[in-house]
Amino acid sequence: MAAHRRTPGSQTSLREANRGRIVDAVKRYGGLSQIELAGLTGLSPATVSNIVKELTGAGVLNTAPGTRSGRRAQHVTLAHALGLVAGVHFSTRHLRISISDAAYTVVSQTHMPLAKDHRADNELDRVMLLLADMLESAGAGMLDLLAVGIALPAPVDRRTGRIARRGILRGWDGVEVAEVLQQRLKRPVFVDTDANAAALGELRLGAARGKDDVVFVDVGDRIGAGLVLGGHVYSGHAGTAGELGHTVIREDGPLCECGNRGCVQAIAGGSALIQRLQTGNRGIKLQDVIVRAMTGEADAIRAIADAGTAIGVATANLCNLLDPERIVVGGELGRSGELLLGPMRREVERAVLAGTRFAPEIVQSQLGAEAAALGAVAMAVDRVSIQPEDPTHPGGAAE
Amino acid sequence: MAATDDRLEPVVSMRAISKSFGHVQALRNVDLDLYRGEVVALVGDNGAGKSTLVKVLAGVHAPDAGTITFRGRIVSIPSPAASRELGIATVFQDLALCDNLDVVANLFLGHELGRGSLDEETMEQRSWELLRRLSARIPSVRMPVATLSGGQRQTVAIARSLIGDPTVVILDEPTAALGVAQTAEVLNLIELLRDQGHCVVLISHNMADVQAVADRVIVLRLGRVNGRFRAPELSYEDIIASITGVLNLEEGTPEDDPRERLPDGPARPLRSPGGSTPAGDAEGGAR
Repeated sequence: MAAHRRTPGSQTSLREANRGRIVDAVKRYGGLSQIELAGLTGLSPATVSNIVKELTGAGVLNTAPGTRSGRRAQHVTLAHALGLVAGVHFSTRHLRISISDAAYTVVSQTHMPLAKDHRADNELDRVMLLLADMLESAGAGMLDLLAVGIALPAPVDRRTGRIARRGILRGWDGVEVAEVLQQRLKRPVFVDTDANAAALGELRLGAARGKDDVVFVDVGDRIGAGLVLGGHVYSGHAGTAGELGHTVIREDGPLCECGNRGCVQAIAGGSALIQRLQTGNRGIKLQDVIVRAMTGEADAIRAIADAGTAIGVATANLCNLLDPERIVVGGELGRSGELLLGPMRREVERAVLAGTRFAPEIVQSQLGAEAAALGAVAMAVDRVSIQPEDPTHPGGAAE
Repeated sequence: MAATDDRLEPVVSMRAISKSFGHVQALRNVDLDLYRGEVVALVGDNGAGKSTLVKVLAGVHAPDAGTITFRGRIVSIPSPAASRELGIATVFQDLALCDNLDVVANLFLGHELGRGSLDEETMEQRSWELLRRLSARIPSVRMPVATLSGGQRQTVAIARSLIGDPTVVILDEPTAALGVAQTAEVLNLIELLRDQGHCVVLISHNMADVQAVADRVIVLRLGRVNGRFRAPELSYEDIIASITGVLNLEEGTPEDDPRERLPDGPARPLRSPGGSTPAGDAEGGAR
C-alpha cells in the first residue's frame, strides 16, 4: 500500500508508518477484523494486534468482538463519538461518498463510475443503499447519521432547490434533490454546487486553510469556481455564483452547452480536450489525456497547456474583480499539476492590474478528487449545527 | 515510440466474422477491433449475437468465415486453451468457481505452483498480491468461496482470469445479480483493469453500468453490428434506438437487405408504417 514511501531506518518511524497503514486500511474498508487487516497491510497478526490495542487506547480505533467463519475475531472500526455526517459528490462521471464524524475524521469512503447522463431517481436510490452499506461496515447505523451534504455538478438554485438551468444535468432537471432524499433518509439533506462544496472543503481541510479570500477553480468536464470571500463561501443571490466556465473569452469561439459562443468551458473543458486528441477508433477519457501528458506526449501536453491558458484568461478577469489571495485549482484535470497551473499562472500574472507582485498564488488542490465530497461533509456539519436540538426538522433543507 | 504504436494498433481485430448454427445465422460479417487500455461494451437484445461473438474469441466456437488478427498476425482460436495462451481471458456469467475450495485453490486451479507437493505459501502470497492489486475486499484467502458475497466472487473470478497476465479480459454480465455496493466494486475494478493497460470487453444489459465504464459501445442486432459509439457522443437514446433497430449507423450493412433476409423467413423490419403488422407481430413473437 505505502510501498512507495521509504521510511528512515529507526524503529519509531517504522512503527509510525505501520500505524498509518492500519488506519488507512480501516478508513478504506470501513471496518475489518484484525486478521483481515494483517492480510491487507502485509503486517504480522501480532503487530496488528499490538497497534490496534495501542490505537484503541488512544481513542482512534474502536474494537468490538465478532465472529468470522465461526471463529472469534476482533472487528476494528474507527471511533466516532459525535455522530456521523455523509458527503456525497456527484460529478459528471463519478460518484464519491465520504462519511466522517463531526470532527472531519473520515470513517468510510467509497466511489464508483457513473453513466454520462445519470438520472436522479436511479442515483439517489443508489446513494441510499451505498450509505446503508457504508454505515454498516463502519459499525454504525442510519440513526448515527446526523446529516447529508450533496454536491452536484450544476448550479443549484437556492430558492427552488432545483438545478438552476435545464439541460446542463438533464437527468436531474426539475428534481428537488434535497427534499427527495430527505424523504427517503429522514435526515436533513443540503445541496450545493460541487465547486462551492470543494471550495469549502479546501477552506476547512485543504489548500485554502487560514485564507479569507480564495477562489477554487474546478477544472474537469465542467469548469466552475467556488468563491470564498471574507472567510465564507459566496454563492450569490440565488446560489449560482461562480460559473467561471461560462465566461466568454472568444467572441466567435465554439458553441457551448449554455447556448453562447466562446465560453471557457467550450474551449478548455474536458470534452473539448478529448475531441481535440481523439484519433482513430479507440475511445479516450480525460484521465488518459493526463496520463499521456505525464508520459511526455507532446499533443497532450500542448492541449493541457492551451486549456491552462484559456482558463488563465478567465481567472485573470475574476482576479481583477475580486482580488483573491490564493487560487486553488482542483477537479479531474487539476491533477495534471504544473502542466495546467504553469500556463494559468502566466496568464494571471500578465493580466492582473495590480502587478505581478500582487497576483494571487496559484496552487494545486490538496484534497484532490475528494475535495467536493469532503466539502459536502463540511457543508452538512455547518448547516445542521444551526439547529442541533431537532436534527430531523424538515425546514433545514435547501435553505 | 513503441508505446504510442501499441496504443494505436488494435490488439485483436476481427474481420467479417460469420457463424451459423444450422439455419440460425448468429453472426454476419462482424468487424471488431480491440485496443489496449480501453473498455469495449457489447450490447444488444437477447439473441443479438453478443455471446457468440465472445465465444469465438474465447475459443468455444470456431467461426464459419472471417479472420482474427492478434497483435498483427492472423491466428485461429480452436480451443479455450489456445485463447488463453494468446492472452485472452474470459470470465463467464456463471464464474465457474469451485464453491468448496478456498480462494487460493480457486485462483490457481489447473496451474498450481510447486512440483510434487504444492507450494501453498507462494500461492497464498501471490493471491494476496493479486487481490491487493485489484484493491479487492476479500477478508481472507483461506475462506471457501461459498462464503463470499456476489461481488467478492466476481472479484475472485476476475483475479483468476488475470493470472496469466492476459491482454484482453472478457467479462460476461459481471454486474448481473449484484447489489449496489458490489456493483460499485466491480465497476471500479473494470476501471482499474483498463488503467493497468488491459483491454476489457464487457457484455451487459444494464445501460447505466455500460455507460459508466465503457469507452466504446458496440451494438449488435440480429447478428450484425448495428452501431458503434464512442464515449463522448454516446447517449441512452441512441444506444436504445440502435439496439431496437430504429437507428442504423453502420454503413454497408443495411438492416433490411431483402436478399439476405429471404432465406431466414418473413422477418420484416418494424420500421415500415402499417401494412406489415402481422409480420411484425410474428417476429416479435418468435424472439
